[in-house]
Amino acid sequence: MAVGLAVLWPLAHVLLGMTTASLAVLGRATTWALLGRTLLSCLEVTATTVVLGVPLGAVFARGRIPARRVWLALHALPLFLPPFVIALGWFHWLGERGLVGSARTSAVLFGPVGHLLVLTTTFTPIVTALTMLGMTGLDASLEEAALLVAPPWRVLTRLLVPAARSRIAVAAIIVFSLTLSEVGVPMFLRVPVYGAAVFVRLGGVDFAPGEAASLGVPMVVLGFVLIGLERALASSHGALRLRWRTRDPMDLGAWPGVMTIFAGLFASAPLLALAVRAVPGMGRCWSWAGPSMANSLVVSGAAAAIAMGIALIAGHALARGSLWASALDRVTVTGFFLPSAVLGTGIIAGWNRPATQRLYGSLAIVIVGFVARYTALGTRIVAASIANTSRAYEDAGSLGGAGYFRQLARIVIPLHARELVAAFGIAMVFGLRDLETAVLFYPPGGETLTVRIFTLEANGPSSVVAALALLQVILSLAVVTLGAIVMKRLR
Amino acid sequence: MKATRRDLISGGAVLLGAALAGCKRSSSEAVVYTSVDQVFAEPVFHAIEAKLGLKVRPVFDTEETKSTGVMNRLIAEGSNPQADVFWSGDPVRPLSLAKRGLVEPYASPEATALPAGFRAEDGTWTGIAARARVLLVNTSKITAGERPKSIRDLANPRWKGQIALANPLFGTTTMHVAALASIWGDDALIDFLDAARANGARLASSNGEVKRLVASGEIAFGLTDTDDADEAHKDGASVETVYPDQRDLGTLVIPSAVVRVKGGPHAEGAKRLIDGLLSAETEKQMAESGAHMPLRAGVPVPEGVRRVSDLRAMNVDFAKVADAMDRLQGRLKRWVGL
Repeated sequence: MAVGLAVLWPLAHVLLGMTTASLAVLGRATTWALLGRTLLSCLEVTATTVVLGVPLGAVFARGRIPARRVWLALHALPLFLPPFVIALGWFHWLGERGLVGSARTSAVLFGPVGHLLVLTTTFTPIVTALTMLGMTGLDASLEEAALLVAPPWRVLTRLLVPAARSRIAVAAIIVFSLTLSEVGVPMFLRVPVYGAAVFVRLGGVDFAPGEAASLGVPMVVLGFVLIGLERALASSHGALRLRWRTRDPMDLGAWPGVMTIFAGLFASAPLLALAVRAVPGMGRCWSWAGPSMANSLVVSGAAAAIAMGIALIAGHALARGSLWASALDRVTVTGFFLPSAVLGTGIIAGWNRPATQRLYGSLAIVIVGFVARYTALGTRIVAASIANTSRAYEDAGSLGGAGYFRQLARIVIPLHARELVAAFGIAMVFGLRDLETAVLFYPPGGETLTVRIFTLEANGPSSVVAALALLQVILSLAVVTLGAIVMKRLR
Repeated sequence: MKATRRDLISGGAVLLGAALAGCKRSSSEAVVYTSVDQVFAEPVFHAIEAKLGLKVRPVFDTEETKSTGVMNRLIAEGSNPQADVFWSGDPVRPLSLAKRGLVEPYASPEATALPAGFRAEDGTWTGIAARARVLLVNTSKITAGERPKSIRDLANPRWKGQIALANPLFGTTTMHVAALASIWGDDALIDFLDAARANGARLASSNGEVKRLVASGEIAFGLTDTDDADEAHKDGASVETVYPDQRDLGTLVIPSAVVRVKGGPHAEGAKRLIDGLLSAETEKQMAESGAHMPLRAGVPVPEGVRRVSDLRAMNVDFAKVADAMDRLQGRLKRWVGL
């Protein structure tokens, strides 16, 4: 019900706003040329992240690496941040007046290469993480048997990496879809993308929500193609299963250490530049931040709590093959793939009414937007975990007289507490890093920290903007660290 | 497990309560949507809050994309307005809103001190603190004798590949091209844009980006606003501001404009906020923080900031500019390639 109201209600209003005239935009060659260029760009980012992320995932998972967790944390950090913060960090390195900048580096940054650099920095950890999970998911006895007859590198490349292929495929699909929906980075770097064309209909010369919705149609279709691909390639719910099995590392020589140190330093480089630039602005950043930090925490926390609740019920039903859950899954995934500009227009049209004034005029409307966009992630994780657990526990509970809610409370939640925490954490982190959704309909005086950084970025004092971006980093890091501690305790 | 469920429910209620807090309608507050840069507008709101005891709740536009498009949000929310006041970066968008019946005229007592050309007679919009469209020149790339003097220099082959302007679908650049179209005609405007593009003009994402390109020396000069140019000066960049076309066409002067939104939830708060925005103190504050040119006579300006009366301003009819902006949208989108 909640998901339906968050996704389908706005979507229905957008569709009602489409007209024959607005659909004409899909008849233009320029529209399809732009979509083609955007898809090519998505493929480039996906290919690069796979080429980098798979070997990194392999060595992070099985290599003998000093201070492995430190380098892994540094490598993964950009994933938890708004991509435009990473763009801002690279700008402070490579922009004309950057730390190592020149006209040439600036020209490279503000173009397709810079776009690839920023999104690769941000999204490679997705491939790394899912490769690691896929490799450690393999039965340990198979690996041990292989090591008896083959050297470690051969076991790694011929057995363990192929074992992770379904998760690598899912990672590639996630990277592709996140690149497709990203708007802040390409706009900052002046790279024309299809998502920007949707925004133009809502924020440019004219207000044409019908055209925006019409332009959103190919993206929604693409979204469903990606969902189909994910289902075909992943073949089961196991692709997003988070269980990690600790094993003795392999002796792979010195390369793993070199690779992971490089990965950690490379990923943290933009944050280092931000930190350097932020020093003069740290004192003033609190006054410029206003209530935005608290707003970010409230809306992303509340949305994550709701997403976790939905993940528990819908994820459980999805894992047990329920048809309604399968339909709900499609709705949540639609919310994830729907261009944020289209979703935003629908939310304004659907919820801005006197009867729902208390919701629309408050931070609650941002919570609705975040639930619509990010519930799918948590639901998939919980479903993956439950699908890989025997149903016998619940059947035993049922025989003992436990009803549905009692089974959930006494069996499902304790067994999958880590995944539920992960669902909460991921929804919260995505809420914290969100820009495109919140910027469209945040209530007066209720902007989130990402929105505040973005609105101040062009004309605000650059040291203060860098300090605010650093604040965003610290906030996200605190949430991730807290989540990791809780998950560790639940192991 | 009952306790756990109760905890979840009460926790959710607390979060929802926190989220819903602050949506109470009060006569001592006002909601303002603004496309004036946040860095300049926010201190003005703080000053008005302190002076009038009025709680101001703002929604800001974004410089990079104008993607939130506060004006478009006003249109989208037209059936149930959330804003009381729209402080626009230009007077043309308020005219578009008025055409859609979304404006409540308000003749502020503060408006009487303003020149007639910078306010609507019927109180639809009232101008304050203006900006001008200028050429920002990198002085290390162009010597004093070579400086461009006209916006037509964007199409001058002498500067091929050395120039930039912001995306004409957004911000003040939209109004500038519409103003040119209202004087030259639509075809001549598109011909000029085509010539600029053929001359290698970089299409920046914003006026701030134009400033960045010029200040960094990536290009020789670009078309931007006085507040962006002032930022470059304050940053110590090697730049000079050229007020173009001072011998013929004139420089486009764009006052920001205050509008009362029809049906806004805080009628009294809206009037108080508009009075505060139209005060001499606000013009002085805008001149100091963002090099905005005061419209009132007698408001002091810091060094380097020109007065509107000292300029040859382009003679434009803002209503005609608004018409041109509506008319041009399709051609501009095609020109940009979106």
